[in-house]
Parts: sequence; C-alpha cells; structure tokens
Amino acid sequence: MLRAALPLLGLPLAGAAAAEEPTQEPGSPGEPLPGLVLFRWQWHEVEAPYLVALWILVASLAKIVFHLSRKVTSVVPESCLLILLGLVLGGIVLAVAKKAEYQLEPGTFFLFLLPPIVLDSGYFMPSRLLFDNLGAILTYAVVGTLWNAFTTGAALWGLQQAGLVAPRVQAGLLDFLLFGSLISAVDPVAVLAVFEEVHVNETLFIIVFGESLLNDAVTVVLYKVCNSFVAMGSANVRATDYLKGVAYLTAEMASLSAILAVTMCGLGCKKYVEANISHKSRTTVKYTMKTLASCAETVIFMLLGISAVDSSKWAWDSGLVLGTLFFILFFRALGVVLQTWVLNQFRLVPLDKIDQVVMSYGGLRGAVAFALVILLDKTKVPAKDYFVATTIVVVFFTVIVQGLTIKPLVKWLKVKRSEHHKPTLNQELHEHTFDHILAAVEDVVGHHGYHYWRDRWEQFDKKYLSQLLMRRSAYRIKDQIWDVYYRLNIRDAISFVDQGGHVLSATGLTLPSMPSRNSVAETSVTNLLRESGSGACLDLQVIDTVRSGRDREDAVMHHLLCGGLYKPRRRYKASCSRHFILDDAQERQDKEVFQQNMKRRLESFKSTKHNICFAKSKPRPRKAGCKKKNGVANTAATNGKSPGDLGFRDTAAVILTVESEEDEEESDSSETEKDDEGIIFVARATSEVLQEGKVSGSLEVCPSPRIIPPSPTCAEKELPWKSGQGDLVVYVSSETTKIVPVDMQMGWNQSISSLESLASPSCTQAPTVTRLPPRPLAAEEPQAPLELRPSFAFPPSLAKAGRSRSESSADLPRPQELQPLMQHEDQSHLSPGTASSHWCIQFNRGGRL
Amino acid sequence: MGNKQTVFTHEQLEEYQDCTFFTRKEIMRLFYRYQDLAPQLVPLDYTSCPDVKVPYELIGTMPELKDNPFRQRIAQVFSEDGDGHMTLDNFLDMFSVMSEMAPRDLKAYYAFKIYDFNNDDYICMWDLEQTVTKLTRGELSAEEVSLVCEKVLDEADGDHDGRLSLEDFQNMILRAPDFLSTFHIRI
Repeated sequence: MLRAALPLLGLPLAGAAAAEEPTQEPGSPGEPLPGLVLFRWQWHEVEAPYLVALWILVASLAKIVFHLSRKVTSVVPESCLLILLGLVLGGIVLAVAKKAEYQLEPGTFFLFLLPPIVLDSGYFMPSRLLFDNLGAILTYAVVGTLWNAFTTGAALWGLQQAGLVAPRVQAGLLDFLLFGSLISAVDPVAVLAVFEEVHVNETLFIIVFGESLLNDAVTVVLYKVCNSFVAMGSANVRATDYLKGVAYLTAEMASLSAILAVTMCGLGCKKYVEANISHKSRTTVKYTMKTLASCAETVIFMLLGISAVDSSKWAWDSGLVLGTLFFILFFRALGVVLQTWVLNQFRLVPLDKIDQVVMSYGGLRGAVAFALVILLDKTKVPAKDYFVATTIVVVFFTVIVQGLTIKPLVKWLKVKRSEHHKPTLNQELHEHTFDHILAAVEDVVGHHGYHYWRDRWEQFDKKYLSQLLMRRSAYRIKDQIWDVYYRLNIRDAISFVDQGGHVLSATGLTLPSMPSRNSVAETSVTNLLRESGSGACLDLQVIDTVRSGRDREDAVMHHLLCGGLYKPRRRYKASCSRHFILDDAQERQDKEVFQQNMKRRLESFKSTKHNICFAKSKPRPRKAGCKKKNGVANTAATNGKSPGDLGFRDTAAVILTVESEEDEEESDSSETEKDDEGIIFVARATSEVLQEGKVSGSLEVCPSPRIIPPSPTCAEKELPWKSGQGDLVVYVSSETTKIVPVDMQMGWNQSISSLESLASPSCTQAPTVTRLPPRPLAAEEPQAPLELRPSFAFPPSLAKAGRSRSESSADLPRPQELQPLMQHEDQSHLSPGTASSHWCIQFNRGGRL
Repeated sequence: MGNKQTVFTHEQLEEYQDCTFFTRKEIMRLFYRYQDLAPQLVPLDYTSCPDVKVPYELIGTMPELKDNPFRQRIAQVFSEDGDGHMTLDNFLDMFSVMSEMAPRDLKAYYAFKIYDFNNDDYICMWDLEQTVTKLTRGELSAEEVSLVCEKVLDEADGDHDGRLSLEDFQNMILRAPDFLSTFHIRI
C-alpha cells in the first residue's frame, strides 16, 4: 500500500526536493573521471521516489514509536507529536543546510495530500447521522464560516486602526478580510486527528466534523473572492463589485468545491462499492483508504512542523498574532452560541451548553489555512509575511494547545462520550419503520419534509440506482435488516466457537444470543457486542478497534465455512487467474452462514442425546480405529463443534455395541449421567473429559465468552481444517446404510434430502418439513423416527418455538423437548428388541445432521 | 383571520389547542390540509361539529402514499373505529403525536400500536413478521423473515414470554436514547 502511495506522493514532493538537492548531498555529483567509470552516483534518477519513500519511512517510524509509548499518546494527540517531530526535523535540516528546504506546497497539499483524507472520511462517514444533522452542519459550515471570516477580519482591522498592530503591517480592510476568510475555516484534518482520540458522542462529533468538511467550500470561495478584490485594489472596488462578489459567492457555493465533491463521492459510492465487491476486496479497499489517509495525514502534520522553521518567510508582530488568536477563539465561541441558540429552536434534541463549549473549543485550524496563506501573492498582499507567521502560530496553537487540552476538558465537563455498539436488530427495524411511518404522515399532511425526501430517495435508489449499479445478487441481499441480522448471526457463530464446550453442555442450545433462561445476567447479542467493544466506531481514521473484531470474524468465518459439512461440494477450484474472482461466492457464504449456524445448534442438541452410548463405548478398540479414521473430525469436536459425519459414524458403531451387551449397566449409567454427558461428546474424545464436562456444565451458568487469542495464526493452528482436509465425505457412508434396515432407508433418504434442501443455497423450499408444529411431549415408541423431525428441522422451529412459547409460556422449550426423548431412550435400553431398529435410525439421523 | 372564525368557534379552537400540541395557526393549517383531502366531503364550517369522515380510500390512494407500506396501518391506528376513516379529530391527533412537543412515552405508545397489527396489546411473532415483510417489500423469503423476527423477539423480550409487551418496547427504546428523536415531524 505504501508502494501505491509512492507515485502519488512522488510527483509533488519532487518539486520541493529538486530545489534543495545539490547542497543537501555532499557526495552526490561524483565527478566523472576520464576513463572507465566504475561507480556512478545516479542520484537524480532516484531522487524523487527516494525522498518520498524516505519521508514516508520517517513518518511511519515516528508513528510506530508513538504507538509504542502508549502513555505519551494517551495524553498528547498524535498530530501534536507529528508537528513537534516536524519542527525537530526542520531544525536539523536548517542546521545542516543553513536554509529551510522543505515546505508544505499548496499544490501538493490540495492535489495529493488532502483528497485521500477527505475521501476516507467521506467513505467511512456514518451517512445517516450526517443527514440527520445536515441542517445544523450546514448552518455552522456556511453561516458560521462567513461570520467568523467577516468578524475576525473586521476586528483585526479595528485593531489596526486602534494602533495596536505595528504600522509595519501594511494591510487594509480587504487584506484583513482576506486573512479572516482563510483563518476562519475549521480544518477537517486537524479536527479528525484530535477528535478521534477524544471520543465524544456521535452527534457532537458529526457536527464538528461535518462542519469542518463542508466549510471548506465556503472558505475557498470566500478566499477567492477576497483575493480578487485585493488584486483589484481597494480603491477600484465599487459597490457593484461587492454585489457581483456576493453573486459569485452564492453561485460558487451552490456548485460543489472539490473537497465537498470528494466527500460526497466517498459517501455516495460506499453503498454500491460494498455491495458489488467481494468480502475480501471490501477489506482491501478499506485498508487501502485508511493507509492512504493515514500517510497523508502524517505527512501533512510533519510538513507543517517543518515549514514553520523557515523563518525567512515570516515576520512577527505580537499585536497581530495575539489579536488573531483572541479573535478567532472569541468569535468562534460567540458564533457557536448564537447559531446554536437559533438552531435549538428547531431541534428536538437541543445542543446543551457543554456541547457548545466543546464545539467552540474544537474549532481547530490546520493545514488548509496554512496552504491558503502560502498561496497569497506577496506583491498584492504586502503583509503576507505577517499573515504567514500568524497563521502558523494559530495553527500550532489550536492543534497543540487546544488539542492537548480538549481531552481533559471533555473529561472534566463530562461530555457524553460515545458508546460503541452495533445497531441492534430492533433498532434497525424500528428506525426503518419510523422512517416509513413519518414519510407517510408527511405525505398525508402534504408537507415535504425531511422524511419525504428520504423516502423519495430510497425509492429512486431502489428503482434505478441500485439496479444500475449493483450486481443482481448483491441487490437482492443488500436489504439492511437482513444485513444486520446476518452480522449478528455471524457473531453468534463466533461466540459459539469461542465458548466451545460451554454452549454444548446439558442445556444444549443456549446460544449467547438467546437470553439464557437460567441466569439472570443477560447475555443477549447486543450485550455481548457491547462488551467486545467493536461497534459503529466513529473514529474515521482508527481502524484498530473495529479491526480486532472484524478480523477475527473474517478468520473464523473462513474456518467455519471451510469446515462446513458441505465442503466437498463447495470446494473452489484453485485458480491462479488474477482477474477472476468467483462470481457468487459472497452469496453462497451468506446462505452458508445460516445453515452452519443452524446445523451447529442442531448438533449440539443432538449431541445431548447420543453421547450416552458414545461415552460408554469409547474405550473399545473398534471405536478407536474409527476415531483414527476421522481424526480430523475429532479435533474439530474438541474445538467445540461436532461435525455431523463424526456423529453418525460413531453412533452407528455404538448402537451395535449397545445391543450386544451391558444393557443394564448402560441404562444405569445413562440415567445417572444423563445430564452431563452431552458435554463429553463434544468436548473431547478421552474419558477423563467426563469431569471436565461436568465443570463446563456448571460454568454454563455464567457464560462469559472466552476471547479468542488475538493472533489469528494461533487459531489457525488449532483449527484443524486449516490443514487441508478437504475430503471429508459428508454423505451417508456405506457403513451406515448397511446398518439401517431396508424398510427404514426410505425415511432415511427423505431426511437426507430434506436436509440438503435446507442447506442448499435456495432455502425457500426447506420449510416443507420444518413447518411441522412442535410435537407433543410424550411420544410413543413406534413414532420414534418421526419424533425427531421438529428438532431436526431446527432452524425454523426456532421460529415456531417463539409461537409455541406464547401459548404454553414454557420457559425452556428445547430442553423440555429433549427430556422425553431421553426417557424414551432409557426405555429402549431396557427392552432391546424391536425398538433397536428404530434406535439406529434415530441416531443416524441425529448424527447425519 | 376572518376565515378562522367561520370554521371554528372560539371555544372549539381553545379546545383543540388544549388537546393537541399545536398552536392556533397550525391547527388551521392542518384543517385546510384536511379539507383539501376531500373538498366535497368536508365542509368549511365546523362550528356545528359535523360528523365527517374522510374515507380511507381517499387517503390510501394519494399518489405520494402509493409506495408506503404502512399507510393503511397508520390510518387504522389513528382512526377511532380502526377502519381507517379519519375524522378531523383523528387527523389532528395523528400530527399531535408526531409533533416535537409530544412526550416520548406517547410516541412510544403509538409506535407500539402501529406495530401491533392484530390489536392484542402485544407485539407477537405475527406482528413482527408483518412489519418485516412490509419493510423488505417482500424481498425475503418467509423463512428468512421468521428468522429475523425470532432474533428481534429474543433481543427485546424482557420477560421471556415470546412477545413484546408495551414495557418491553419502552425499555428497548430507553436503551437507545436517540431512538425516538427521529420520530417527529415539523408541521
């Protein structure tokens, strides 16, 4: 990624570098001797990329060092450190070369450094939040900036008239207005850099940040207008020109500035980009953007520090500097208070005093102002040097002093911090519904409000844009509720893996998402998510917090899919083509997640049933042989998952032994250990796990999910399917079919086919089996094969369970369903004979799942 | 101003002001809008409290509402007898609830009622399925819908009775403070 950035940054910096090169490198010329030249110093050819690489190297080294010292970065924002580093570097260069070499060139800045940052922030901008607060943001951006520019300029002019500014500063009202316009803009880079470490609440963040992004348009236009006025000279400006200027201003504001355009591009393309590319590419895009933005930001701050060293360019005037500092703070605060007062008349959730303080204090100036002031023409603005000095001081003051103090301030004022959590499914659902309801009501009242436009946009998007811009498959899945559900489900799967044996213990099916019935502590998905700390992270630059969760998720997902039952069928051809990515891999994955999840729940359910025999017969040599055959599956089981094939093979073997001998013992032990052995089956294949199983069963009361070790490699080592065991056959082995009596094979096949239809990508036809209502509890023996169906078709019966719960208000539907089956098993133990054949079927079916 | 007197008596306006969160001016605006919906049905003189209802067919067929999945439900909830025909009082009620001034609990209550399709004072599985189906415009299969609903129930069901009571609903909303902040309209 750095390499990708190189050519980008290489061009602009080359200009800066070329100027200084000869003095900088003492040994560079390498005077060509007459005769054979053994060594040549080809500095010129590599100069530009070399310097750029050097810059980035230094920057990233600095970043690494900063990150190593957590203590420092927790107090001092990174931007401050970078500026200081820049100052030091600049000082060194100045001391060595006797003149300041590197500068933050406006061209470089606007063309190469700023766009990645803005694009990144646009891309990761929480769009809903932005548009919800659009009114406030636009007000602050447009009115606020104009207000700041004019008041600051005018006040400075007044200061000069009052004689507080040294007469050396030759500037008229127009000059000061120009200066005011460029100094008034809140800088997105600086705001981002500081605010992302502060973690204020979302609304506050989006208002300050949105303002800083959008006001660039205003600033640049204002700057242009003022600049042209200054160029004309104040004597030549007539009243009509002011009018023209205002017209120009409005016209320019309506058309988008480049920064705004890039932001909107990022904002708009996100949805379609993400829908169209695969999961991996999505990650790549994300990281590329973050890296680019991060690089650009680092370089900007460093260059800011370095350019400040160049004392030839600036001239100091205390009155001007102090006056400017005071005025920008004062007028910003005043402007914020006034505007907020107006806005609060219209806001449902008013911005309170504390918010206003943070907002006015968060008005950081940055590189935009600096670049603009450098762009000034010395011949037309004689006071340029003073302005440059003032701007540098202002930028440094805001970034360093305010940046340093804003964190304690926020803490001290007890500003509502942002809570990180994913939207719950409920929230998502209700938000949508509310939108629709409100849109409807607005329609009825004939009032084209905000929701009206949202509704229109959504329709338009659905009808045309999505169809035009998205792949068909992506278009189908993009539904947001579905998306959230999908994500939650993945979480489930992960925590399932995390918890390993816990989940599969006696109570069987308590996935973390279901509020566990026996413990008071809520273990709903949302809580889990909140604890794990990854969520809708507003920090546009920081990827780390999200990443830990996301990465893990990806890794685990990958493993889950690899280890899936239907892997042989799904196996992708290893292709070395660089241009082909499997077309609908994403779609398949989506489906598969659910099936995996469901199957897993089912398996855990099943395991509670046949573990009895399994545990008993384990020590047998025959069993051991069987184990070795599918050792992979066994290790998988130790990881908390019981792949189906393991299940059916083992049970198939077990059943025979059960029939042959030890009937009474079996039944005895099975009665005593009925509850605990479910764990054994899944936990480990050795007998000492018996105790462990019990322990984990007790642990289940407080299901605190183990955190997966952060390094994915660790997990990979553990997870067996990484070792490329792709040939686990899922289908019924011949072994089992032999055991199953012929008359039962019909039902057997049926169940298989129904299962497959359940697991196949189009799961629409699955419900045929699954729609059966939960069976009455105490069932008779001959119906044993049938009995399994409800539990068998577990996923939809979840839904059914919801309904049945409301009828019977049974707290624990699944374990109750489980109960009679167990008893039934015991009975059949005691009376071997006709029942045994049913038994086979039952187990096989269970195992098959 | 002259208009106002002919439509409502002074007492009527006072009463409306007391019952809703609107000012006099807003009430008048809403009335004219209401009158606009069915000019031939609604008289311009309300002093005698005529018993006039705008039938749902008129509201439901508004071109703007054509695509809205919840149009019928809204009309049903806010109309007195649940058939979707709205009197002026219902009409004002509806906007009163949606206005910014309305307290959060009231909004939550009405939101709850909108969800409660079968009017049994609980949001049950079936209600949720309706909602999700409407929201996704039939894009999801029945099974997917029920999966989503199951999850939603699981998340919010505080007393584990397999359905959401009003308390469950309010609790859930309390947990997300910004939640209802979007649930308002500026008239």
